Order: sequence, then structure tokens, then C-alpha cells
Amino acid sequence: MSLKKADKLLIVALMILSLVLLIPLFRNAPQSGLAKVYVKDQEVLSIDLSQDALYSVEGTNGEVEIEVNDHQIRVTQENSPHHLCSKQGFVSDPNTPIVCLPNETVVRIEGGTGQDTMIQ
Amino acid sequence: MKVRKTVELAFLMGAGIVLQITESFLPISWILPGFKIGFANITGLFALQMYGISAMWLVNLGRVFLACLCQGTLFSVAFWISLAGSLLSMIGMSMAYKMKCFSIFGVSVMGAAMHSIGQVLMVTWIYQQYFMQLFLPVLLALSIVSGLCTGWLTQLLMKRWKGRNV
Repeated sequence: MSLKKADKLLIVALMILSLVLLIPLFRNAPQSGLAKVYVKDQEVLSIDLSQDALYSVEGTNGEVEIEVNDHQIRVTQENSPHHLCSKQGFVSDPNTPIVCLPNETVVRIEGGTGQDTMIQ
Repeated sequence: MKVRKTVELAFLMGAGIVLQITESFLPISWILPGFKIGFANITGLFALQMYGISAMWLVNLGRVFLACLCQGTLFSVAFWISLAGSLLSMIGMSMAYKMKCFSIFGVSVMGAAMHSIGQVLMVTWIYQQYFMQLFLPVLLALSIVSGLCTGWLTQLLMKRWKGRNV
């Protein structure tokens, strides 16, 4: 393998670029007070994250239980083959939605700022 | 176009289709959604090194269309994502090739990086979901590895091809 100087420069530039793109992800964790639950693209529930509570919505396969605790939200019980969304655990980041495809249910924390990540 | 060139490009396109379909069976994308080595780009790189830019565009575009036709995903979401990735990657590789200062590895890494950027942009545009951009830094870092891998394989291929006819 014989790399030219320009190749090495390109590789280093790409490494720096990927590190730089990582920075806004660590800084960008705005505290948001609102989570929304969508079933079949319809908004069914708007949850205040400052109050710890239990909620329940009607998904495709039955009840989906949602728990709010300490500004974080998780799905506790649902009917699906792999239980991916309840295994996901607590989520506090607007960038990471909880998606339960078998129930066609999405739990998303509303982002405080307009944009998540900039790509140049 | 000479008959020899036509036949060789057709062989390359066919090999690319086989590589792309075979690669979709590999479970490597379990590491990260959307990540793969991109073995199919070996044929595009090879065409670029042997015949120049227009041959690479022909081989890669034909490969994307025909492989999606074989898999039954033509004009589906997966097809548009794949097409956007290859278009950007081909633009990147053409530019890197024209600049003359890159070796085959540089061209290949440029193609791999542009491919992941194109895919992420297309996913963002289609789904209007911005969380895919979280993967972009990791995808870019991994594309260095996969670009070096395909570049190295293409170099091996060219060493063996030297002085041979089809």
C-alpha cells in the first residue's frame, strides 16, 4: 500500500471533519419540557416531562404504557415480537425518538431549538 | 466505442451487480445502519483507472439500476438512497481523479465518504427526520476504512489484470 501525500491529507481531513461533526451532538442536549406520542402519524398525546406520571395509549397491538421519570421518558410495556422500544429504556434527547413499529407508535421529545445538527 | 471496451465494461457492470447483491446478504450493516464496505465500487474504480471518468459513470449508474431491478427495489426508497449515494460518490471520485494528486486510495476514500454523505442527505430529505445525521460522523470515520479496503482490492485487481485480455 503506497499512500501519496494528498491521500494522507484527505484521510486526516476526513477524521477531523468527523470529529468536528461530533461536537454539536455532545453540546446539543437542550432541556425540553414536552414529549409527543404519535400513533399512525396522528398525534395522540402531549406529555409534560416535568411531572412524573404514567400514561397509556392505544397502539396497533394493544396498550402501550409510557412512564415519565425525572425529565426522561420510556416505554414500559407493549405488545410486540422483540420489545425493542421497551428495551431502549429512558430517553431524554430530542434527537433520539422511541419507535415501536409493530404498534405504529412513536414517542418523541420536542426539540427546544429549531435545528439539531448542521451539515455543511 | 470499440467492441473490446464495450465487452469489458459489460463484464465490469455484471461483476458489480453480483457484488452489490451479494453484499446485501452480508450482515455487516448490523454494526451501524447504512454501513457497508462497498465492494461493488471496486468495479467502478477499476473502470475509472482503466478507461477514465465516463466509463466509471456508465458502469456505476448501470450497476445501480440493474442491481435494483434484479432485487425488485427499483424506484423504491432504497433505490433513491442508493442512487443519491452513488451520484455524489461519482462526482467526488471524478473530481479527485481530475486533480491528479490522489492515488487510487485517495480516489476511493473520497468516493466512500461522499457516498455516506449522499445517503444521509437523501434519508434526511425523504423521511424529514434529522436523527440520521447523528450517524454521519461515525459513517465518515468508517468510510475511511472501507475506502482504503476497496482501493486496496482494486489495486490488487489491476496488478493481476496487467497485460491480459478478456
